Amino acid sequence: MSLAVDPTAAGRLRRWARAWCVAWRITRLNFRAQLEYRAEFLMSVGMGVAWQSSVIVFATVLLQRFPGMGGWSGADVLLIVGMRMLAHALYVLLFGRVHSLSFLVQEGRLDACLLRPMPVYRQIQLSVFPTHGLGDLAVGATMFAFAVQQAAEPWTAGRAVFLAAGVAGGMLVEAAVFTAVSCAALRFPSAFYWSTWVDELMATFGSYPLSILPKAVSGVFTFVLPLAFVAYLPAGVLTGHGAALGVPFWLAAASPAVGLALFVAARLLWNRSLRHYTGVNG
Amino acid sequence: MATLAAGPDTAAEGIVARNLTRTFHTAVRRPGFAGALRSLVDPLRVEKTAVRDVSFSVERGRLLALLGPNGAGKSTTIKMLTGILTPTSGEARVAGVVPYRERERNARNIGAVFGQRTQLWWDLPARESFAVLRDVYGVPQAEHRARLAEFDSLLELSEFWDTRVRHLSLGQRVRCDLAAALLHDPPVVFLDEPTIGMDVVVKEQVRGFLRHQVERRGRTVLLTTHDMTEVARLAERVVLINHGRIVLDGSLEEIRGRFGGTWQVHATLDPAELEGAPPPGIRVVRREGPRVVFGPDGSGGPGGSGGAAPPTVHRALRAIVERYRVTDLALEENDLEDVMRAAYLRREERPVRDAAEDGAVADGAAADGAAGDGAAPAAGRSA
Repeated sequence: MSLAVDPTAAGRLRRWARAWCVAWRITRLNFRAQLEYRAEFLMSVGMGVAWQSSVIVFATVLLQRFPGMGGWSGADVLLIVGMRMLAHALYVLLFGRVHSLSFLVQEGRLDACLLRPMPVYRQIQLSVFPTHGLGDLAVGATMFAFAVQQAAEPWTAGRAVFLAAGVAGGMLVEAAVFTAVSCAALRFPSAFYWSTWVDELMATFGSYPLSILPKAVSGVFTFVLPLAFVAYLPAGVLTGHGAALGVPFWLAAASPAVGLALFVAARLLWNRSLRHYTGVNG
Repeated sequence: MATLAAGPDTAAEGIVARNLTRTFHTAVRRPGFAGALRSLVDPLRVEKTAVRDVSFSVERGRLLALLGPNGAGKSTTIKMLTGILTPTSGEARVAGVVPYRERERNARNIGAVFGQRTQLWWDLPARESFAVLRDVYGVPQAEHRARLAEFDSLLELSEFWDTRVRHLSLGQRVRCDLAAALLHDPPVVFLDEPTIGMDVVVKEQVRGFLRHQVERRGRTVLLTTHDMTEVARLAERVVLINHGRIVLDGSLEEIRGRFGGTWQVHATLDPAELEGAPPPGIRVVRREGPRVVFGPDGSGGPGGSGGAAPPTVHRALRAIVERYRVTDLALEENDLEDVMRAAYLRREERPVRDAAEDGAVADGAAADGAAGDGAAPAAGRSA
């Protein structure tokens, strides 16, 4: 009755392709399920738009009062805002369900994930379609496009590739941070509040040059909660602030790789934490 | 830790558990406001053994009922056998696979239904969930269709399988859960209170479905339930667990023999037979002319103090019919619920030493909730 597993490379490739097909199919079904609650769907998208728009309004007010921040022009700051918002929207769409892991654990739904032959982390991401992420993406992509258009320097192929890698790296940094925090959610329900607080910190400080903050604080936001790698450092490389970022230039230029490394580390930590999962109700 | 050798004997078995033990570490709050504040800075660590040295096996194609009062350790045992929890010590094999080491491989071999929680996608119609599971398990389309048709004929799923799971009644939802758990044709099935909260008609339908899966499809089933009618209808063998330990492993007949000996046989005897002594293990409870009421001898049964177990009602009946010339006969027997109540209550009177061990206070022990640390076997569960 059990299915034989083909151990060859071709077999692995087939399983990988099928796994993505299944993930895509579940995503489409989840999306369709969200569409059936029309009012709720529109409210969720609207909430994403409103949330991200408030970030833009705040940034616009700041930039009107202070044309530059810590030596960064308005256009340069806009690039940080645009990169962070797009990276955040992509994080929400692809990895954001770790934020609500506490609820899955408390409701015993994580147990069901452990009973299916699919990676648990992937099942968590596929547990629901993040409708509000569409609002985040709409605003984030618009802001990003506007910031790219406002940039002083022309977009060569190399700069464009680094820009894309920077956004992807930013998404991975955010995914790494929340994946690491969610490890605690496997044991402690209160981890949700920590996750919400970290989200607030990243939204508040992630869109501006960290050079305006005291050195100790910017150090914390670089080496403890690494939000500098989400947008500030890659945007600094692209806008020619490489010498005054508070970290060596090579580290700033390696931001996308740092994002990848942090995400891999966070996933390993998550796998380890799952092995010690004790469940609910014994 | 006990090691379970992989081999034909274990691989052929449906389920094998050897000395499974699961310990949890929790912090206990001291009484009162001052105690609560003290617990904040100096938590009182308590080690709680939910399951201790549990060993049993279920042969392929058999159904075993794992019974016990609330908090006895049934669900923890099932969670270890399904790979949700890693045992602190001991070992398990399910269809030849160690469930907590090879989670995904084990998941392909088992189906599981937890009556109080659904494993279906809440916002999708049940049939969509079935289709997703078909893809997840890689079941060929034709096979999936045939199996779904079979399940529909047994559980009448098509009446509601296009309804979103969140809108299904409990009975409908659990029937869908049962189908979802078996769509990939697993050789081993775990059912944790599958009929809880169902009406009698649906319960009977589900029991019929389970019988079919065991008898016709040869699946190995481990069932936990508090419904004794279910046990009587489905289980040949029962494992009784209490305070995390197995207290009895045997057939229903044996359990009745040990804990349910309060039967009575009402017989009308030929007057010439009235003076004869009753058969061994049987006593005369009451006598009114030719009408005699027989019961088990006082040395056994729930209230008994030991000695030889009284005969079962069926053996007693045969002995009475063989011993006397009987003109009329009626039986009065405790139902299984009474028997199990007697079994649970009897086993509550366990040695004080065990109780002390279970709640052993380990001040300053391992971190809160770090159950499985240290003593836990190295597990390679893929995430």
